[in-house]
Amino acid sequence: MNLQEAILTFNSCSSPASKEHAISKVDSRALLIVTLLYLVLLLAVPIFLPGKIIWFAIYPIVMSPLCGFSYSSVFKKSLYVLPFVMLIGVFNPIFDNRPAFVAGDIEVSFGWLSFLSLTLRGLMAVQALLILLRASGFLSLCHGFHRMGFPSVLITQLLMLYRFIGILMEESLTLKRAVAARGYGKSSFPIRLWARILGALMLRTLDRASRVYNAMSARNFSGHFHVSIREEWNGRSSLFAASWTIIFFFLYFFDLSSLFMR
Amino acid sequence: MHLADALISPSVAATTGAISLALIALSSKKVKESSRPEIIPLMGVMGAFVFAAQMINFTIPATGSSGHLIGGILLAAILGPWAAFITLCSILIVQCLFFADGGLMALGCNIINMAAFTCLLGYPLIYKPIAGGSLKPVKITLASVVASIVALELGAFAVTLETELSGITSLPFLTFLSFMMPIHLAIGLVEGMVTAALLIFLAQYRPSALYEPSKNQATVKKGKLRPIFIGFAVLTLFTAGGLALFASKNPDGLEWSIAKVAGDVEFGSEVPSTAIMPDYNSDFAGIVGALIVMVLLWAISSLIFSRFKKS
Repeated sequence: MNLQEAILTFNSCSSPASKEHAISKVDSRALLIVTLLYLVLLLAVPIFLPGKIIWFAIYPIVMSPLCGFSYSSVFKKSLYVLPFVMLIGVFNPIFDNRPAFVAGDIEVSFGWLSFLSLTLRGLMAVQALLILLRASGFLSLCHGFHRMGFPSVLITQLLMLYRFIGILMEESLTLKRAVAARGYGKSSFPIRLWARILGALMLRTLDRASRVYNAMSARNFSGHFHVSIREEWNGRSSLFAASWTIIFFFLYFFDLSSLFMR
Repeated sequence: MHLADALISPSVAATTGAISLALIALSSKKVKESSRPEIIPLMGVMGAFVFAAQMINFTIPATGSSGHLIGGILLAAILGPWAAFITLCSILIVQCLFFADGGLMALGCNIINMAAFTCLLGYPLIYKPIAGGSLKPVKITLASVVASIVALELGAFAVTLETELSGITSLPFLTFLSFMMPIHLAIGLVEGMVTAALLIFLAQYRPSALYEPSKNQATVKKGKLRPIFIGFAVLTLFTAGGLALFASKNPDGLEWSIAKVAGDVEFGSEVPSTAIMPDYNSDFAGIVGALIVMVLLWAISSLIFSRFKKS
């Protein structure tokens, strides 16, 4: 991913899809718990049962429109993870060629089944994360982490990082463009030149940290941020968490694919 | 080196997640105790800097390809090991949520593989003893290169181990390891060189920005970390032994539960004549059937979404 794409991705994911959607009143902790449960049960399905794993796509497919965006956009973004998963999974058909079943004239091995499962799991896990972020927003998620007892230093760091990533990436893009304009469009630089470019950015970054600290001290910064988000665990959150929990356990314990076998 | 969610089992995710949480809690405590209030904004902007720096590629000498900074040793040399660990953890969380690098379940693995090995092992046990607070380019280069190589090799070994323990890949452990280790040796060498280039630049123009343990309470004294890492190693070995059971062919607890509730799943069983796709094996029919339902569901959800959008 290049810098321009990264800035676009960061900006598009920074704000929730829309402020008012069916899930907007659900507590971010409920979303976090449901996402974690989804991932645990998705990964717990035996690797040789892709027919069972496919059913877990219900969650991203149903949640996308509920959160105010299309499943197509989520699906397209999740394709980014495919090369990494396939790189590991591609060896399975080579090393595990025990026959699993015959489809027409083609014999399908267990290696191919596990490869298919890995690909599906990879896509669905990323889709669940995209939905989590876009349904609640990063600030709400940090607020949720905080109320779940995560260390305040980590939460403050996440909020600071979130605040400065956009700024630093914009500065890097300006630097990169300036150097590329003088370097006949080269996209990478020799290490010595690269160190000088980034060294200059690092010095400015350190100066920025000093200014930020002075400004924070002047405002009585006590060591952690107060996020102005009012969220409460309400009936809607309980209903949301309970219904998805029942669905996930149902998908985990019962093989719906068997409906197509008899 | 980011491990994706799809590549690990829940048991490995839970174990590494617990270890990572413990390390985060310990690091947070150390950062709070360090009584350096200026460290908070510095961690934030340096994290953002490393994030941005990862997007600017450099040419890898003699190969014609390009690479980018990882930044663990660099952060530790500026912020100190504990603050750098928290900073790298936050980078990994943002990468996982915004850019689908890694995943929520694999976060524990990625924190150990990339943040713990570089900041909590590579810096205090390798970089610091070699560089010894010196601003000489030769010492900084040697320390950066050795620390980066060791940290990345440990990370590569851990990735292989975690994937194998998860029972995900059919690739034999030693074959997988023989793929991972040489690649990460080269990556570590380049990472060490670019880290050294930046640290030498900093030593030249802003030496005061480099972490000076003697002035801080968060100093990592020799021998202090040893019990933690011995405990860490024992826990890893214990986990490896324990988790090997889950990677075996025998059913684990969850599979046993499925067998109890849904009955044994047998591949290659006979397809009854009433099946929707009787010419195909039952599992194949199951996969295709599930796929069809999901496509239908997708179509319906798209229709609902377009209705919502119009209204």
